[in-house]
Amino acid sequence: MSQTYNPAAIMGNADTHSGVTNAKLGVWLFLASEIMLFATLFTSYIVLRMGSTSWPWGWDVLNVPLATLNTVILISSSVTIVMAYAKAYDKDKSGFQRWMAATILLSLGFLVVKAFEYGHEFALGIGPHTSVFYAIYFTMTGLHGLHILGGVAVNGGLLYMSAREEHWRNPLFLGRVEGAGLYWHFVDIVWIFLFPALYLL
Amino acid sequence: MSKNDDAQRDEHRPDVGLYVKVFGALMILTIITVAISKLHLPRPQAIALGLFVALIKAGLVGALFMHLWGESKLIHRALWITVGGAAILILPLIDCVLVANKITSPPDVASQHPSGEHAEEH
Repeated sequence: MSQTYNPAAIMGNADTHSGVTNAKLGVWLFLASEIMLFATLFTSYIVLRMGSTSWPWGWDVLNVPLATLNTVILISSSVTIVMAYAKAYDKDKSGFQRWMAATILLSLGFLVVKAFEYGHEFALGIGPHTSVFYAIYFTMTGLHGLHILGGVAVNGGLLYMSAREEHWRNPLFLGRVEGAGLYWHFVDIVWIFLFPALYLL
Repeated sequence: MSKNDDAQRDEHRPDVGLYVKVFGALMILTIITVAISKLHLPRPQAIALGLFVALIKAGLVGALFMHLWGESKLIHRALWITVGGAAILILPLIDCVLVANKITSPPDVASQHPSGEHAEEH
């Protein structure tokens, strides 16, 4: 019997007879449910916006420079996590830890910038109750922020696990890093749409 | 592991050079997104352009960072089903709002209302 390339063998997961590991399939199905969640929110945004007699320009009422900074931070973190995956693939422990730590720091940076932005708005007495625009703004960016927080927890867990040699011997570890990366890129994609929709257009 | 397996594994090796290039492209596209908003274009054009750039950025992240380019057909199918499901939920709703806007927009209301243009004819 000829041997063929089998990603499941590399990742160490059970084969699903489709060339996709169980873990990866699970993460993608989870992301599919997340797509539906954010799709409903974007639909609400579109319907509310189209049904409104007036809608503010994002750059008139929100802090665009801070949001642009957050976009740069999040895109950078997408690169650092994919570099962490590349290092994990090469079983370069210190390289993985460096890039994963950079990803977590960038994620925390995103949350700090967002906290400044929220803090300024709350200080001005602006909240979800202020208008339909702010209601959808706080709902969408708040939910996105919670996803960032979840990503920090998962990435922090992987960084903690990476300190122990037994995890590097476990072939499942690379699959876990890949799953965390997929989730993080999804969070980045959501922000790629949130940024122009709320702040710029 | 055979030589064949090694070669195939190398094909799936993360491409660090490519990631750096994508990072550069994403940064440039972010600048373009902000620049579009500074042009103060009419809203429909601004939204169309902004959405177009966002789609390119999302495509780059999805295809190259998430490795959807060259991913298994099973994952592609799952995503297409998701996109189709989302479209079934979203598009009729947006269509309803569009139709409602047409019905209740000021000129139509004026023409339907007894005290509008038609009322004056009587």
